Amino acid sequence: MRDDCDVLIVGAGPSGAVAAQEFARAGMRVICLEQGDWPDYSRARAGHADFELVSRKHWNWNPNERRAAGDYRVDDTESDISALMYNGVGGSTVMYAAQWERFLPSDFRVRTLDGVGDDWPISYWDLEPYYDEVERQFAVSGLGGNPALPPMTPPPLPPVPLNKVGRRGAEALNKLGWHWWPGTNAIATADYGPLHACTQLTACPFGCPTGSKGSADRTHWQALSKGQVRLVVRATVDQVLLDDRGRASGVTYLDENGARHAIHAGVVVLCANALGTPRILLNSADGAGIANSSGMVGRRLMMHPFGNAIGIFDEDLESWRGPLGQYLHSLEFYETDRSRGFVRGAKWNLIPSGAPLSMMLTGTWGDESVWGSSFTRLLRERLGHSVIWGVICEDLPDPDNRVTLDGELGEQDVPGVRIRYRTSDNTRAMMAWHLDRVSEVLDAMGAKQKILNPIMQGIGWHLIGTTVMGENPDGTVVDPYGECHDVPNLFVFDSSVFPTSSGVNPAATIAANALRCARALVARRRDVAVAS
Amino acid sequence: MTTHGTDLPVAPVPPAARERLAKVADALIPAGAGLPSAAQAGVHAELLDQVARARPDLIPPLLEALEALGADLDLASVERLAADAPRLHEAITLVVAGAYLMSPRVTASLKYSIQKAKIVDPREITTIVAEGLLDQVIERGPRYRLPPDAPSEHGS
Repeated sequence: MRDDCDVLIVGAGPSGAVAAQEFARAGMRVICLEQGDWPDYSRARAGHADFELVSRKHWNWNPNERRAAGDYRVDDTESDISALMYNGVGGSTVMYAAQWERFLPSDFRVRTLDGVGDDWPISYWDLEPYYDEVERQFAVSGLGGNPALPPMTPPPLPPVPLNKVGRRGAEALNKLGWHWWPGTNAIATADYGPLHACTQLTACPFGCPTGSKGSADRTHWQALSKGQVRLVVRATVDQVLLDDRGRASGVTYLDENGARHAIHAGVVVLCANALGTPRILLNSADGAGIANSSGMVGRRLMMHPFGNAIGIFDEDLESWRGPLGQYLHSLEFYETDRSRGFVRGAKWNLIPSGAPLSMMLTGTWGDESVWGSSFTRLLRERLGHSVIWGVICEDLPDPDNRVTLDGELGEQDVPGVRIRYRTSDNTRAMMAWHLDRVSEVLDAMGAKQKILNPIMQGIGWHLIGTTVMGENPDGTVVDPYGECHDVPNLFVFDSSVFPTSSGVNPAATIAANALRCARALVARRRDVAVAS
Repeated sequence: MTTHGTDLPVAPVPPAARERLAKVADALIPAGAGLPSAAQAGVHAELLDQVARARPDLIPPLLEALEALGADLDLASVERLAADAPRLHEAITLVVAGAYLMSPRVTASLKYSIQKAKIVDPREITTIVAEGLLDQVIERGPRYRLPPDAPSEHGS
């Protein structure tokens, strides 16, 4: 390998961070280009009176509303769900809830077991050692012995407390005879490396002010950027460059002033998420696209339809406090049972309802108007007295659910993206059935009021599947190690490569798979064909 | 002046606009349930200044909304604004509710300590296990399906 660097990584999210660390440890020269900037934690205001007001602007989950450095236009007018992301150092781990879930063995064999979707070219056990490693990297807390998963190495830290909310949920699930387990989260429950013990400010998705959450900016980039890796922020990559033999020779990017630069590299690794990665591939070759002989770049977008069930209680549960985060999860109904009327399943997780503004202004707390004489009554009823069950449904790959380039030039004259995503009959049936069961849990918890929200339009955190991996170049974009079938030294390590989505949060698998692919690339680095 | 939400300068809010805001705010949040009304809490006064420092971007649409409401500063007019100018409705309701929930008088009455920090106690899990809360979950055994190609030590 040679040129300006051995490896050029595009995107400083979790996959880029894990890969950069692995390459640097192998002595490779690494440059990472990140279109956003470092998170500004001076605007993480949890614990201050203006917390929620500031969060709604600066930590807004939707890039179309946040419009910060690195955010590009996402046209979601033809999508049932809005795509959420954080563009900056750490990627979406900066704003994720840090719920840390391993995929289950069946998630890798969906076609074999259920006759739908596709099997992965790897198994749970291929990823298992990498899960163990990244759980140490991301300061994961939890409890070993969960019978919903195969026996595994326990996380490095003990779980977050159940508090009143989690205890009530656990007791209800026991009453029903259903599975639960203390939550596994990338949230430090003791001082751990650069992280501090969680202070329970319900701030995880709004910039953790304590420095407790295992976000890649803190777990990886703070150290890596001090010497081992050259991290360039506010650098928007618009194209991967190819030589005359069709090999990747580097990238071009625009800096914050709009000046265009080129960097040459032996290997290019895209870690820009399942919208950003196809955006770059489709825009390369001056918009003609690359690595797309299969026609699958941008297709099979999966977004994990999300619903929730809110319970309101007479008792004060102090539910404005806690990690967000999950107190506990249930995988009771995760595996397929066709008698339910759908295949595959969903994960449930229990969280506190958090700070008050969110429960007075959103449209997810029922139909009753909050204004006028209702306001103070509803505020008293909800604040501290409410809990939220989240339901994540597995959505199956559909080639018509896809990412394409926006016809109009966006920020810095680089096209944004348009997404088309429709939920399937299977997904809708799954969500309705699961919400009915969660409603039973709320009854068992003693809720005096229940509010059920199926498939929430504004929650598309988990972007998956748009450069699918597989052995067959005719139907997939990259091989099982993330190498593009069409461009031998161009790799994709992010969640774009997932053949199916599972029904759990993807961060653990994103990190574990990136580590697996990076380690494989290090092992064969002298054999990789580089540009001439 | 320091702001936390945006880089915009803080725009001043004229006294007349504050008076109008007080009336609208009391229509949106009258006193009740042992809590003060929005104006009693000071939504149009010091709390508004705090909002302006936190979110200066909200002040121009707030002023626009107050003007759009015309002479009728009641709940029905604000509800009409939701249909006619949703952006302005969003701004004025966010300012009023956001300011109200920043009031120390309100948060004290709610026994809400603005998310006072409380470091997690990782020993809690020891209690949970000792109590036997997880016993029946463990006794039910594995809940996951094994694919046919699972390693033999996992039962395939």
